[in-house]
Amino acid sequence: MANVDLEAIRAAWVGKVFQEIDIVVDGQRMLDWAVSAGETDPRFVDPDHPDFQASTAFPTHVNAARMLPDEFPMLGNGRGIDGGKSIEWHLPMRAGDRLLAEVQIADIYAKTGRSGTMVFIVNRMTFRDPDRQVVATVDWRMIRQGV
Amino acid sequence: MFEIGDELPEERPDVSMETIRRFVRAAEMEFPRFIDHDAARAEGLPGAVIPGIMSQAHLAAMIHRWAPGCTITSLDTIFRTSMVVGTPVVCRGAVTDVDDDGTIEIDVTILSEESGATGVLGTARVRLAD
Repeated sequence: MANVDLEAIRAAWVGKVFQEIDIVVDGQRMLDWAVSAGETDPRFVDPDHPDFQASTAFPTHVNAARMLPDEFPMLGNGRGIDGGKSIEWHLPMRAGDRLLAEVQIADIYAKTGRSGTMVFIVNRMTFRDPDRQVVATVDWRMIRQGV
Repeated sequence: MFEIGDELPEERPDVSMETIRRFVRAAEMEFPRFIDHDAARAEGLPGAVIPGIMSQAHLAAMIHRWAPGCTITSLDTIFRTSMVVGTPVVCRGAVTDVDDDGTIEIDVTILSEESGATGVLGTARVRLAD
C-alpha cells in the first residue's frame, strides 16, 4: 500500500456513475431462473399469477460491459477476486418492465490480514424505473490483492 | 411466531449439470467454468462450479418456502469455496433477529455435504407477509 493513495482514489471515483444500461425485463428468463433455482412460490414460477415478479437474486445476472471506469487506476496485479454480492429490493421487478441500470463505484476500502493488504472495490448497480424510483440495488465486492 | 434461534428446514437443491445449464442460460452466463468439468479444471478449478448467484437463488428459494408470501428485502452473501456441479450441497438458515415491525434477520449458509466445507454464507432480511 506504500505507493497507493487510497483516499485520493476514493475522492476521485466513489459515487460517480460511469455506465448506464437500458433493460427490458424478460419474463421467460425470470421464469427459467426461478424454476432452475428451485423456487416454488407462484409469484416467481407462474407467469399467470397476478403478482408474478423476479425472484430475489435475479438482478445479479445483469453484467456491466465495464466493471470499472476505463481510467480507473490499476491496483495490485489487476486481477479481481469475487468478494461477494448483496441485493437490496425496494419494488418488485416485473416482466416487460423498462429499467435503467446505473453503474458506479460505491466504496473503496482496504483490509489488512495475514496474507497482506487487500483492497475492496464495491461496484454498485442501481435499477431505476422510468419515474427514477429505485427498484433494486446490487453491490459486487471485488477484491484486489498484492496492493 | 418466529423467534431468535429458529432454524429453517434444510434444503438440498438440484445442482445437476442439466439444471445448472438451464440456470446459466437464463442468466446469460454460459461460461465453460460452469458447464464443462474439463474446461473448469483447465482453469485450476476442481471441476465445473455452481455459479455464486445461483447459490444466492437457492437460499432465496429456501426462505420463500419457509415463510410463504414473505419479501426478502436484502440478501448479502460471501462466496468462500467453489462447489462442484453434481456434488450435493445443503442450504441452512437460522433466525438471528426479529424486529417489532415483523422484519426478520436470518443467517444463511450453503455447505458441501461431502466435505462439510462452507461454500456460501450470508445474511438475509425478510419482511413477513401481512
